[in-house]
Formats: sequence, C-alpha cells, structure tokens
Amino acid sequence: MEKNKEKYRLREVKCPTGVNWTNLRAELSAIWQSNIKAWKIDFAYPVSFIRQLISPIVFMLPYILYGLVLIGGRYSENLAQLVGTGDVVAFIFTGYIMMGFIGTAVWAMGFSMRREQWFGTLEAIYVTPASRLGQVLGMALHSTVHQGVGTIMQFIFIYATFGLALNVSGILPALAIFALMMFALYGFGIVIAALSLILKEGWIVSDSFYSIMTILSPVAYPLIVLPTLAQQASYIFPTAPALIGIRTFLIQNYVPEVVSNVFLHLIILSAAWILFGVLVFHLTDKYVRKRGMLKKF
Amino acid sequence: MTQSIYEPSSLRGNLFVVWDELVKNMKFLMAYPVIFIFWALFPILWFIPFILQGQAFVGGLQSANFAQITGSGEYIPFIVIGAVLNSYVNTLLYGMGENIRREAYQGTLDYVFAAPCNKAYVLIGKALSESVSSTIFAASQLTISALLFGMNLTLGVLLPVFFIVILLILGLYGLSLVLAAFSLMYKQSHDVSETIGYIFYVFSPVRYPIESLPTGAQIIGKLIPLTYALIIVRAIMLLGTSLSAMYWEIFALIIIDVVFLLAGFYMFNWMETKTKKSGTMSHH
Repeated sequence: MEKNKEKYRLREVKCPTGVNWTNLRAELSAIWQSNIKAWKIDFAYPVSFIRQLISPIVFMLPYILYGLVLIGGRYSENLAQLVGTGDVVAFIFTGYIMMGFIGTAVWAMGFSMRREQWFGTLEAIYVTPASRLGQVLGMALHSTVHQGVGTIMQFIFIYATFGLALNVSGILPALAIFALMMFALYGFGIVIAALSLILKEGWIVSDSFYSIMTILSPVAYPLIVLPTLAQQASYIFPTAPALIGIRTFLIQNYVPEVVSNVFLHLIILSAAWILFGVLVFHLTDKYVRKRGMLKKF
Repeated sequence: MTQSIYEPSSLRGNLFVVWDELVKNMKFLMAYPVIFIFWALFPILWFIPFILQGQAFVGGLQSANFAQITGSGEYIPFIVIGAVLNSYVNTLLYGMGENIRREAYQGTLDYVFAAPCNKAYVLIGKALSESVSSTIFAASQLTISALLFGMNLTLGVLLPVFFIVILLILGLYGLSLVLAAFSLMYKQSHDVSETIGYIFYVFSPVRYPIESLPTGAQIIGKLIPLTYALIIVRAIMLLGTSLSAMYWEIFALIIIDVVFLLAGFYMFNWMETKTKKSGTMSHH
C-alpha cells in the first residue's frame, strides 16, 4: 500500500513566481499557447475562418461605393477643402483599416474570457498557475495577426479594383503610430474583458462601445464634421489621433484636421489605458472569485 | 378510457400553438429589457457614420449625383430607409436559426418536436414573434430618425410601406426556414446566415442605389427580396410614387416570396425527417 502511494504520488510542478526572467518567460509561453489555441480553433472551422477574412472587404465596400455615388467620382471638392486631399478611396481605405482593430480590442479581447466560459474551460484556466491576463493577451496576439491578414486582403482588393496612391516613405512612421494605437487598444480591450466577467450579457457592452468608437473615429469623414463635444470625447480613444497621424504620413497633401503631437498623445493614452485596464481587470478578477460568479451565465 | 393525445389537431388548437409560441418569445424578449432597448436604439448609431460621411463629401444635405441616379438628392432618408429595412434582415435571418438553436441549448427542442401538433405552426409562431419584435425595433428606429433628421411620416405613406414590409417579411421567412433547417441538421447555421447577410448587404441597395453596382452584381441583387422592398419603399417615401405605379416590383417581390417560402418549408421538412431518423435532434 505504502509502495503504491509512493508510486502514484502526484508529480510536483514548480511554478516560477515573482518578477524574474523565468517567470516572465513562463508567462510569455502561456500567452503564446493561448494564441496557438485560438488559431487551432480557427482552423477547425475553415468556412468561418474564410468568412471572417473576407468580412473586412464586405463591410468596407459600402463606405466606398456610397462615397463614390455621392460625389459621382472619386474626388470630393468638399473633402479637399476640409483636409487637403479629395481622394475618397484613399481616405476611406486608410480609415477603415482601423475598424477591424477596434474589433480586436472590443470583441476578440473583450470576449476571450466569456468564450472560455461558454466552452466550460474558464475555471480550468483560472486554476492554472499563470496570470489570467495571459489568456486575454493571447487572444489579442491572435486577433491582431488575424486582422492583419484581413487588412492585407483589403489592400489587395482596393488596389486591384480602384488603385491606391499612398506615400511609401510614410509606411514606417505610420506603422509606429499603429503600434502605439494598438497598445492603447489592448488596454481598452482588457477593460472590456473585465466587464464581460461581471456582465453576463457583455456583448451589449462590446457592441455599444464598438458603435460609439466607430462614430468618434474619423474613419470615413474628418473629425471636424463631428460636433465639438464629440470631437473632444474622441481624444480619449486612441483611434482618432492614430487615424489623423497615419493619414498625415500616408496620404499626399493631407492636412491634419487637428494639430497635436500624435506620438505623445498616443504614448500617454497607451500608458493610461493599459494601467486602467490592468487595474480594472485585477479588481474584477478578485470580485468575481470572491462572489463565486465565474460559473454563472 | 384514456383519451389519445395523437388526435388530429384542429385549426383552433394549432392557432393556440402559434399564439403560445408568440407569447413565449415575447416573454423572453421582455425578460431582458437591456437587449430590447439595445435593438430599439443602437442600430441608429450604425448608420450615423454614413450621414457624417455624406456631409464631409458633399458639404450639405443634397447630392446632385445622388439625385441623378435615385431621383432624390437627399441622402439621409435614403440611408435611414435602407438601415431600417435591413434591420429586418438582421433580426429575421439570424433570429429564426438562433431560435431553434436556443431551444437546443435550453434542452427544450426535443419536447417541442415531440409535441402533438404540426411543427409548421411552431415555426409560424417563432417567425411571427421575430416579425413583431423586428417591427417594434424598426418603428422605434424610424420614429427617432424622423425626429432627428426631419423625415416626413404620414399615414398615407406608412400604410403602403407596411404592406411592402409584410411582403419582405414573407420572403425572409422562407430564407429563415432554410436557415432553421440548417440549424437542425448542422447545428451551427451561424456562418450560413452571416454569409447570406453579407450578400444582402453588398448586393441590395441598402447604402447605395443598385445602379451603382456592376451589371453582374445588379443581377444578383435582383434575386433578393430586400432589393425590391427598398426600391418600392424609397419610391413611396422619397418620390411620392403611388403603390399601383410600382406593380412590376411588387409582382417580382411576390414571386420571390413564393419561391423562398416553398423552398423553406421543403428544406425544413426534409431536414426534420433526417435529424429524427439520425437521432441527432438534441445534439449541440
């Protein structure tokens, strides 16, 4: 009996804890595995995967076709007066590529925990000796790459159908702005993920934020057509300054509708949203565990 | 002597089934007031970017090019009508497939299909409840839009529009029956309904006139009931055309409705028999 006990003793696993290189590596590995898991689920449903890849084109087309019908061509005098460039296709394309990434924050990250709850694996993830945020960040990584592929497809489609004239030299600074925007969006996504733990019908919160951010982001129109209050509200989200910055570098003759230091603005927003997100997630995590709400739908 | 429950159902009994299904679904809807408010208000936010885009591109509320193609240069009512009618597509297409799926999630699908009544009446009840909720949402969106953007809504305009909406709903019933059939057999009809939603969104004149599409795309658009509904409703509301002047479009809409409904009932009966035989009715 004693011999059996010794034989079947559970294997002890030593988990790295604290702020050290080993722990960081372990956490990064957890994020990576969460990302791999999301890709495996994606590839398990090829029809759904292909549909999601073409959806950015499907939802961008109406903006472009509607714009072309409104002005009877691709050059808008009024838009040129507002922002210096009248090419509506380039203007809408550079704006719309951001929409998918708003979805990354609001839907993919926001719903990462809720999805685990649906699959019945949330509690199992919660008892693993890894940060709960790893799950959210793994989904963020997966969704960013997924959306990146969708954006490349959008670009190919628009380039082949309408042609695009963008400043090639502006691609690097535009990517830097994009990276800063994504950091801030990740912070925002962590807040939504935390909310989805408490609010069981969290899709309403996600959809509401998505709708509001779509209006406050100058995707298909310059910021100055919004009422003053809405313009001011748009500064707390990263998409408005990022879009203005990206267009400044990518579109020739583009005159930014709001003059400010986009890089500084985005650095402050990124730091603020990430700190706020981690704080809200930490508090929510403690709250739901204390109340035993993890299993509730 | 015990009475057999397998008596042939009377019409009155079947109408009770329809009514109870309708009441049940409305109770579900009312149990989540936040969802109710969301669908009544938030779809308005989805078309506001198009209105702002119009203002940025043309610098006013009228577009000369729009007037050349559609007969009216006012793009705001064009967008509002497109969005409100498209909301029927969103709720009916996704709603019916998901309604069947929800019964499976709740563990009540087996009971519904084992009930001694004609399943067509259960489906009619589900479809009616989706139509009632869609109409409540559409009415609230239209009213708010009318107040916000100053659209003219009179009874003389709304009555023929209501008639066209009923014809649109019938066509969508047919499609949603096909989706419900997919839901029974393949469990996840979500991708199919999303794909149909995409086709409707791109090939129907929801956001732009159908004339702005290439010829091939226009032909696909003319096989969709929403296309005719949008053309007729916009003609009535924006151009003041009478219903009788749109007889060709109404006829085309009725033909599409009949084809979709027949295909829907045939598919559903076929899939129901298949799932019953394979014993996969309650699988998730």
